[in-house]
Amino acid sequence: MLPPVVISGITYAGAIALMACGITIIYMSTRTFNFAHATMATWGFYITYVCYMLYGGTPYQYFPLSFLFGAMLGVICYFGINRPLLRREASPITLMMSTMGYDIALLATIQIFCDYLTYKLRLYPRRVIMSTYETMVWGVPASFFISLILAIAIPVALHAFLTMTKFGVAMRATIENPTLANIIGIDAEKVYLASWIIGGGLASLGGAIVSMTITGTPVMGNMIVVTMFAGSILGGLYSAYGSLLGGFVVGIAEYVGTWLLASYWGGWLLGYRMVIPLIIMAGSLLVFPRGLAGLPWGALLAALKGALPSRGKEVSP
Amino acid sequence: MSGQLPGAKELWERFMATMKTRAGLVCIATVLLFGVTTGVARDPMATFLSILARFSIFFIITLSLNLETGHTGIPQFGRVLAVIAGAYAVAAIPGRILAAAMGLPCGLRYGDDTVNYKVVPRVNEMLAANPALSIGVFVFSLALAAACGAAVGWLCSRPAIRLREAYLGISLLAFGDVMMWIGHNWEPLVGGSTGVFVPDPFAFTGGGRLEHVIVVSILVVMAIGSLIFVEMITRSPLGRTFKMHRDCELAACVYGRDIVKVRTRSLMIGSALAAIGGGLYVFYTHTCKAITFDRATWTFWPWAYMMLGGIGSNIGVLFGVMLYTVIRYNIVVRRHFLEKVVPFDPIWLDPLLGGIMLVLIVLFLPYGLVPEKPVSTLPRRQIEEMLKKVRARSGKSGS
Repeated sequence: MLPPVVISGITYAGAIALMACGITIIYMSTRTFNFAHATMATWGFYITYVCYMLYGGTPYQYFPLSFLFGAMLGVICYFGINRPLLRREASPITLMMSTMGYDIALLATIQIFCDYLTYKLRLYPRRVIMSTYETMVWGVPASFFISLILAIAIPVALHAFLTMTKFGVAMRATIENPTLANIIGIDAEKVYLASWIIGGGLASLGGAIVSMTITGTPVMGNMIVVTMFAGSILGGLYSAYGSLLGGFVVGIAEYVGTWLLASYWGGWLLGYRMVIPLIIMAGSLLVFPRGLAGLPWGALLAALKGALPSRGKEVSP
Repeated sequence: MSGQLPGAKELWERFMATMKTRAGLVCIATVLLFGVTTGVARDPMATFLSILARFSIFFIITLSLNLETGHTGIPQFGRVLAVIAGAYAVAAIPGRILAAAMGLPCGLRYGDDTVNYKVVPRVNEMLAANPALSIGVFVFSLALAAACGAAVGWLCSRPAIRLREAYLGISLLAFGDVMMWIGHNWEPLVGGSTGVFVPDPFAFTGGGRLEHVIVVSILVVMAIGSLIFVEMITRSPLGRTFKMHRDCELAACVYGRDIVKVRTRSLMIGSALAAIGGGLYVFYTHTCKAITFDRATWTFWPWAYMMLGGIGSNIGVLFGVMLYTVIRYNIVVRRHFLEKVVPFDPIWLDPLLGGIMLVLIVLFLPYGLVPEKPVSTLPRRQIEEMLKKVRARSGKSGS
């Protein structure tokens, strides 16, 4: 049996991986580094929380609803802000700035929503421990399995979508070269919209899952946004698979790494948990600026094979 | 006569011409809003001073952001980092030095709230009796803040050598957050989660309204000084190099400019200025608590001010900060009028309207209220004379 901190750590890391993947998908297609990802994640948590408090059942059954809500926030951001700026060929900094404004406004709507829940519905939404509503499966919280399954299923589904469907191929073409994709008749705006739907949905879904491991507050997303960014950057910012791996590595390092260090050096280290993603991010930017996806995996595997005793005949090129 | 000063009539005509432009209208609107806000307040003087203090501090910080982002094109999403550096320097070092000189606890224990609340009032008593020393402490503290800010700017410039746009912006943002968490968790630095008191170099004025007036006057003078300083940089060869870097890095390289040096200089100057803003803030509030230095207040809001005023326009930043400060002040102070109308705390209208306004500015007013203008490096009169000569020559050749 795994220690509880490792179980929570894997759940947390899986959620971070999903959110980092969302950031990367939006960035790859629209060149927009989405600051509003943090608040979209928080909205995902509140959708799950409110539905669970009002309608009962289990929190997990509302995860799809969180995804849909996040996708809707993504659609609003795309049509309301991103599309006009993309049409105007705004600079990446302007695109970032626009999502910053959206983030501030969304954060305010969360606060207003929390006030409404407090005054009208008599709930206590400003400090929520969602783990108390967990269902145990074989002595392990169900969110652990959900997070793990999603962290594996999403890359598989994404791979299938990008390689086996016509729209997925069109999406890849647009990401590679939007001008050329337009020339051959691909509607780039549909691809951008799809990116915002997937990215926003993953942000909210990740937020709903991550609230099972940390305290849910109106600023929950803002507290973990650096971790999401670190995961996305570690993954390389231009690879959805890389960001999933990067998010998972950063999440595990932050959650379990801090616990391991604290058990060795003392509890005071727990306060510096936020420093770990930064160190990983800075290290990755210095050592391999293109992230995990930019590493020469083929050459590394070949080198590893070369180091191992040869079992077959070498074929000359 | 090139050395002749413009007459009163000419000055008035120029003033009236400016008032008819967009900048003039923004100026009138800002002054009117400020005047009305102050006039209808229960204590007009306190309101006036409070708005001016907020304006001055954020103006210095936004100007520094404008220097780095507006003039040099660096995506400075970690403005809070330099502000924190200045605030921590002012809160942690001068108080310790004075406490050591007085034989009071000054080492790591200075940050302990059970010690700090006893030490700082005694330091203040000593400062109150020594005006010259107080002024020296104030000047030294700000110099220290600027030095720490410049050091932080230099450190930030290291990743800026390799990174661009989103990578650089996110790295700077993360550095700022980490600095805040270190201050929040490591109590000996600035008191951790409880914070520390900051020695009051204006205690000799006797406190009360007089001290408030003096402190705010100094803040305003510092803000005006910062504007003159940044405006001088903008008009200097260094400022033109910054703009060249912003507009086309390749062109800057072709003309022999060292891109790394340009970025480093901009970040160091900007960060030093922002650190002075952070130092002034803790002097004004008399306390320093790490958690208050969040990225929303000290990075996102200055960005919003700059966007509203106009990226790259120093005068635009002036109006942007003033207008936004007055609007935010009204929302915060007069929210009780709305409490019965809306089913939530009206305080949230501040970020809601701020966020919406920021989006609207980006969409419909991308160059801000007072857009950046080409900087004339020669005096206006000299340019006018040159124009006259050119026109006269072209008139002769035409006839």
